[in-house]
Amino acid sequence: MTIARFRFPPLSAAMIVAALQTAVLGYMVEGRATILRNGAEIRLKTQPVDPRDLLRGDYVTLSYPISVIPAAIVTGEKPRESGRARLWVRVRPGDGGDFEATEASFAHLRAEEGSVVLRTLPFIYHGGAEGRIPDRLFVRYGIERYYVPEGEGRVLEEAHNQQALEVEVRVSTGGTPQIARILLRGEPVYDEPLY
Amino acid sequence: MYRSWLERDLKRWTTQGLLDGSVSDRLLEEYDSRESAFSLGRTLIIIAALLVATAILLLVASNWEAIPRSLRLFGIVLVIWVAYGLGAVLQTRGFERTAAALLVVGTLAFGGAISLVGQMYHLSGDAAQAMLVWFAGAVTAAALFRSAALTTVAGFLAFVVAGADGWPAPSLAGGPLLWLMPLMAVAVILLVRYTGARRTRHLAYLLLVTWLAIVYGEYEWLSTALAIAAGGALAYLAAALPQSPLHPLARSAGAAPAFYAYLVLLLGLLALHAEYDDAGGRLLIGIVTLAVSLAGIAFSGRDNGAVRYLAYLAFALEVLYLASATVGSILGTSGFFLMAGVVVALIAWAVVVLERRFAGGKRRTGA
Repeated sequence: MTIARFRFPPLSAAMIVAALQTAVLGYMVEGRATILRNGAEIRLKTQPVDPRDLLRGDYVTLSYPISVIPAAIVTGEKPRESGRARLWVRVRPGDGGDFEATEASFAHLRAEEGSVVLRTLPFIYHGGAEGRIPDRLFVRYGIERYYVPEGEGRVLEEAHNQQALEVEVRVSTGGTPQIARILLRGEPVYDEPLY
Repeated sequence: MYRSWLERDLKRWTTQGLLDGSVSDRLLEEYDSRESAFSLGRTLIIIAALLVATAILLLVASNWEAIPRSLRLFGIVLVIWVAYGLGAVLQTRGFERTAAALLVVGTLAFGGAISLVGQMYHLSGDAAQAMLVWFAGAVTAAALFRSAALTTVAGFLAFVVAGADGWPAPSLAGGPLLWLMPLMAVAVILLVRYTGARRTRHLAYLLLVTWLAIVYGEYEWLSTALAIAAGGALAYLAAALPQSPLHPLARSAGAAPAFYAYLVLLLGLLALHAEYDDAGGRLLIGIVTLAVSLAGIAFSGRDNGAVRYLAYLAFALEVLYLASATVGSILGTSGFFLMAGVVVALIAWAVVVLERRFAGGKRRTGA
């Protein structure tokens, strides 16, 4: 039951495959560059994580106050069963200029003046007893890693633990965040070029 | 391995006068000229391709700052084009081995480029999606080039996708992995059929078996175990019974379909052992398992060695399990070992008788 020895002309195959793969890469790059170019800008405070776990290989693990969503700010319909879920999180600038989570929902949140809506990565939602949601929800946004040149991670790690690190993030209209700049005590240390 | 057996047998037949020396030489020559025959050259060339590709991936991973990252990305894209282009040229000229190696380099470079983009934009948490894109790229390339080597790469990548970080793991509930794993296995099996990468078939079947194990781990219910056992039984009968309409299709894939279906059936029975923990249920499942292993020997014993050995193993383990769970508890440790020895000896005797009968049957059908 093998098909007769048909084969696509190899040179055409090479052109199609290479062009397709290049297009996929270009699409990925352009998607991110668009967020950097046009996304809404927010600044996020980072919070220390277990220092032992912070520097893994050549990236720094970042964690944010908005990674923990208190049940009190969750509005709207809650999932009835445990399972895969996403949250939409509305952030507004706080006193120091850093953005803080003010509202979260399991459904889309509408855009509002003076606020930005972030979409979390999917996570497994475990409902509490009698359909209540747990006191705190731990979420990720896809901006929890910062790749650094080899050997430069220590400085960032220490700053991170002294809570002296802030991250400037651009957010697309769909809620996808993209790290744009790393600030150390208010001064930019890493600026992300578009490409 | 088969070649050395073949050579030894041919030599023996030649010295016994059954074969002419020139015939045996021609037979060996024919075997060596087959595309699937083991070739040191081809193996080394694929290893070289893997080493080069690893070097590219490590260069990406080191986040080397001496070259701007946009230039690095451009460089990798260039590698992709050159590898596929050169591979295509060599394929048209008939240098299949070197072509295959270059195609592998191209596909691995595509994976390196994906991870470089992830690094450029500090992406986290969606490794699974990135791996899936890589798998899709490998499948497309394997299909368009009709490349057995790329089919094997795709087979391994399917496992990488399934194991990638970023599925809200380990739970499958409502997640895409639940239907992605069988879908990837089907894609790899179709590619195996199309490209003739026969050995890669096992990767696809193993992916399916792993998937079923995960499904059972996720939904650890009696009904899941029953469904796995029943599905395995149906698939096995469809593949192994000569009356089945699917039998010719399964046979064209060799011993593998019946073997893996039988393996799934046994895994289902293993899960059922865990589900029934009262004495009556245990005995019932034990008897079913023994019947299944005997059925396996009866249906596939003659022409499917893999199923036969699996059935022997299942039979022996089941007898020992039943003995330890029932009689063993009465006899004490020493008595148990004595009994186990007797049981194994009886099974060995049965196996010897069966093997002799299969050999005799073959002689008769051969005559």
